[in-house]
Amino acid sequence: MKKELPITGATDVSLRVLFFSLMGFALMYPASARAQDNYEIQVYPSETMAPKTLLVELHSNFTVEGSTTTQYSMLPTQDQEHETIELTEGINDWSEVGFYIFTAEKNGNGLQWVGDHIRPRVRVPPRWHWPVGVSLSSEFGYARAAYSNPTWSWQIMPIVDQTIGRWYWSVNTTMVWNVHVVPAPVDSTPQQKQTYYRDVAPRGVTFGPASTVTYAPSKYYNIGVEYYSYYGQLGNFVSLHNQQQQVFPVVNLFVSPKWEINVGAGWGATAGTDHLIVKCIIGRYFDWSHHRTGSSDSVQ
Amino acid sequence: MNRRTFIAQAGAALTGATLASVAPAWAQTAPDVKLEIAPLDLEIAPGKVVHTVAYNGRVPGPLIRWPEGKPIAVDVVNRTAIAEIVHWHGLWIPSTMDGSMEEGGSMIAPGAQFRYLFTPRPAGFRWYHTHASAGHDLKRATYTGQFGCFYIESRDDAGAYDQEIFLTLHDWNAYMGSSGDSSMEAAYDYATIDGRMLGFADPLRVREGQRVLLHLLNASASLVHWLALSGHELTVFAMDGNPVPKPASMHAIRLGPAERIDAIVTMNQPGVWILGETRQQLRKMGMGMVVEYANQQGKPKWVEPPETLWDYRPFAMAEAVSGKPDEIIPLRFESKFHGQGSFDSWTINGKSYPHTDTIVLREGKRYRLRMINRSTDDHPLHLHRHTFEVTNLAGMPLSGLNKDVVVVPANTTTEVDFTANNPGATLFHCHNQTHMDFGFMTLFRYA
Repeated sequence: MKKELPITGATDVSLRVLFFSLMGFALMYPASARAQDNYEIQVYPSETMAPKTLLVELHSNFTVEGSTTTQYSMLPTQDQEHETIELTEGINDWSEVGFYIFTAEKNGNGLQWVGDHIRPRVRVPPRWHWPVGVSLSSEFGYARAAYSNPTWSWQIMPIVDQTIGRWYWSVNTTMVWNVHVVPAPVDSTPQQKQTYYRDVAPRGVTFGPASTVTYAPSKYYNIGVEYYSYYGQLGNFVSLHNQQQQVFPVVNLFVSPKWEINVGAGWGATAGTDHLIVKCIIGRYFDWSHHRTGSSDSVQ
Repeated sequence: MNRRTFIAQAGAALTGATLASVAPAWAQTAPDVKLEIAPLDLEIAPGKVVHTVAYNGRVPGPLIRWPEGKPIAVDVVNRTAIAEIVHWHGLWIPSTMDGSMEEGGSMIAPGAQFRYLFTPRPAGFRWYHTHASAGHDLKRATYTGQFGCFYIESRDDAGAYDQEIFLTLHDWNAYMGSSGDSSMEAAYDYATIDGRMLGFADPLRVREGQRVLLHLLNASASLVHWLALSGHELTVFAMDGNPVPKPASMHAIRLGPAERIDAIVTMNQPGVWILGETRQQLRKMGMGMVVEYANQQGKPKWVEPPETLWDYRPFAMAEAVSGKPDEIIPLRFESKFHGQGSFDSWTINGKSYPHTDTIVLREGKRYRLRMINRSTDDHPLHLHRHTFEVTNLAGMPLSGLNKDVVVVPANTTTEVDFTANNPGATLFHCHNQTHMDFGFMTLFRYA
């Protein structure tokens, strides 16, 4: 009899206004960029964290086969270990805030801080009874130029998902506005600069959708496929050769209501993609309400 | 074949025959009570209308007060488009009148009428409600407003109170929502007391010094509810209509689906208060009402009660029951996952109704139901037509607590004893509508 307990009442109208305003803003100012870089490789569901609940996730990604040379100011990705801590706190039954701490480690460099992002997200509350789940994520933050280009970015990501029996799908339409990119090398020719700002560090809005389909043989795990991509600047996609196209077979484990685990291995299909990455996400839920399960204060 | 299919097929066969055999008697005498089942647009708050089905155009249905042992005739006419049936919950009456298709009761076809004839007993707070199936249609069966209170008056009811109030809890606009684990459960838009959201019903008017008797019923299709009256304690003296051995005062009380509590409140805190769900989300959904002392004004106040964990034991004797049952019947509850977009199905000893094994009882024998809950949900288990004594909760013995619904917590074992003293088919099921519709039932038969 554990139930999701939606709040109702006067908040509905203001919530609708807020949601549609944000959605409209997202459509007017689409951002682009490498939606899913190699720090948090995850397709989001539309559901937000429950109020007074904190999810702590550790994203561990290891690039088995990636770039082997420094490209512009960025270090080679091969053999890089990325550890990202993601903290997500539920605000109410339709919003949450996430915070990321990105780190990278490679032989010779030790553990390095890469950057931080903050990610508020709102969703269509279940009481609106939409046939699909819809939420809107906005992520803003900084990452060091040695590990990321752009350095400052703002991501807008509408999320749509649906569960049909044992099947689940989700589409993250990721658009990133590269607020600040590392300038092209000063000795670049105009031709090189043009290539740089198109293929390496677009100044505008880039597009990189991600999606997943899973099948749940049991309530304790599901298996599926995740897809990540980077097409380049909106209206000026890079060539297929330079796009990122990556597919991860994954397993999601729900070993306890307090834990969730995602493991997978991703194959990059184009020259612009790291060819092999293995990833693991371990998440632990913490209930800040301090209510005992089943008590007069608990909704669990 | 799920429960709805089973009922539809069996009901079509039985209804005609039953109606034909009893129809002539209806015209002979007037009923004592008449219930009309019909669609209703229920305004639970200004501008918030729930499209539902109810008895006599109101929610809850009319209170039926009736002396214990005096025969009653209740005519039920069905003005809806689907077959219906009315279950008399907690009464010791024959299977054919109990209002359960599975026990051989008659479904009432659309437009048809049926007369229930029985002698109400035992005394206490009982209730009546639809016993139809909903399946995936969460606008049917106990998701609707088809419920009402039935109070069987004892001959020696002293009535040590100044005011008596019946209150019913219900949740509205159910939809398939996610639960704490991967399985799906019914979730709701609104919650009400007596069909009205907090702030939109007339307040309960009381006077300082009064002893107010509250009869509280959780008529939700699936949710447990907690209630508290700000600044007051509730002295629980009966559960499911049966006096408890040790009445106890509580800041908050818990009611599983179909459970009832009788409690006395001494009105000793003048003011304007909220009687409501202890959880804020549920109060925001509407579950609450205002309690107003005479000559008191102002905004109703909610005072958070201390966090409470519910336990039946303080109301029972700590000693184990004397004597052993004639037979122990193990009942193992498990679920089968059908995906995050579907409801689980449920099994008792590995089988879902109607494929569960029928358990044979012998009249006069005492049985112990050992309910082993191997699921991650709490379940309100209900035995029709009998009262049982709760004898063990998660390994802790107790005695003297007589009920007809007991909430069996997740991953625990609960034992209840009952005497097979009311021959006839007897249904045993989880009172969560979704769970019972998807297999969580079994039938007892007398040898």
